[in-house]
Amino acid sequence: MNAAPLARRPLSCLKSGLRQARQQKIFSRSMATRAAATPKTPSQVPDHNFYRLVDKKSKTLRSAFAIYPPTQAAAGIPLTPVKTTNPVAALHDLQIKKLDPTGARTALFARTREAAKVGDILLVTHRRGGEPFAGVCLSIRRAGIDTAVLLRNHLGKVGVEMWFKIYNRNVAGIEIVKRRLKRARRARLTYMRKPKHDMGSVAEYVSAWRKSRRVFQTKGRRGRRLLRGRMGRAGGRRNKGGERGREVVVVVGK
Amino acid sequence: MLNCIDNSGAAIVECAMVIGQKRHASIGDRIVVVVQKQRDAGAAGMAAASGAKVKRGDIRHAVVVRTKQKVTRRDGSCIKFDDNACVLINKSGDPIGSRINGVVGMELRKKKWSRILSMAPSQA
Repeated sequence: MNAAPLARRPLSCLKSGLRQARQQKIFSRSMATRAAATPKTPSQVPDHNFYRLVDKKSKTLRSAFAIYPPTQAAAGIPLTPVKTTNPVAALHDLQIKKLDPTGARTALFARTREAAKVGDILLVTHRRGGEPFAGVCLSIRRAGIDTAVLLRNHLGKVGVEMWFKIYNRNVAGIEIVKRRLKRARRARLTYMRKPKHDMGSVAEYVSAWRKSRRVFQTKGRRGRRLLRGRMGRAGGRRNKGGERGREVVVVVGK
Repeated sequence: MLNCIDNSGAAIVECAMVIGQKRHASIGDRIVVVVQKQRDAGAAGMAAASGAKVKRGDIRHAVVVRTKQKVTRRDGSCIKFDDNACVLINKSGDPIGSRINGVVGMELRKKKWSRILSMAPSQA
């Protein structure tokens, strides 16, 4: 059925074909609209001669490339790049401010001389039941609000390790029972899990520390001074003034 | 293979299956165990004198009380013991031994094993 119209028109009729094309051209011309002129800013003509053109109408030099004025926001305020801050860090700061208003917890695990370090024996008091957990600090995982410490101890011949989040509200207090004599040369003392390096139970250090605290409580200032001197020597740290040798670090009241 | 830390007479037991779930057992989960090693009479002292309650090859139920795997608590703190240990119980859930020597995990409280918790010398 398709062959019928083809057969009516001669195949090699060039004239009729051209006529048709011409008619279409006229039609398409009538459809054309005027193109918008490209914005030009003759003041911003580049220094070099590469892209310069002479404008036929105004006889001035212009760039061959369209130059647009600097972007403006809808309200007319210039769009300067916004100063960005790390949103995660900002959130962590906010949360830390909320959970640690005194800054004591932050100070205890800051990177300062008097802060707690790996190898120190720490005592964590939990608000919800149970005995306070003491142990050697094997590592400190600093991660903003998620900052945690790993403590290791022996309870009845079995090694026990616990992670504590330092900003946890259930953690009522963290205290330094004994400082390591020398600074640990590792960030994580995982070798202390091996039998060769294992410290065993820290119960005796804790009881000694409790005894020394009792001195502190009963004898008042004199006891405190005595205690400070002893701790300073035991810790092997320089002990200038009272603040440096302070032992009780976090007691969170609410 | 787990340590058995009560005075039922078993020293080392092997876990045969976990009861009530298709996953691994954690602290407070009930398991079926086979007694592999008996505690020798001399070491157990008074308790053994009355006769070991279980023998090698016995199949018993037990409750896991310590795991090497870290157990995370709701407040973000974690606990990890140096060994895996259990306490033998009978089918109704009462401990076979009368004493526990060694620390047990606090998770037992959540899973309603208060009898074992009260027998244990310390909890962590």
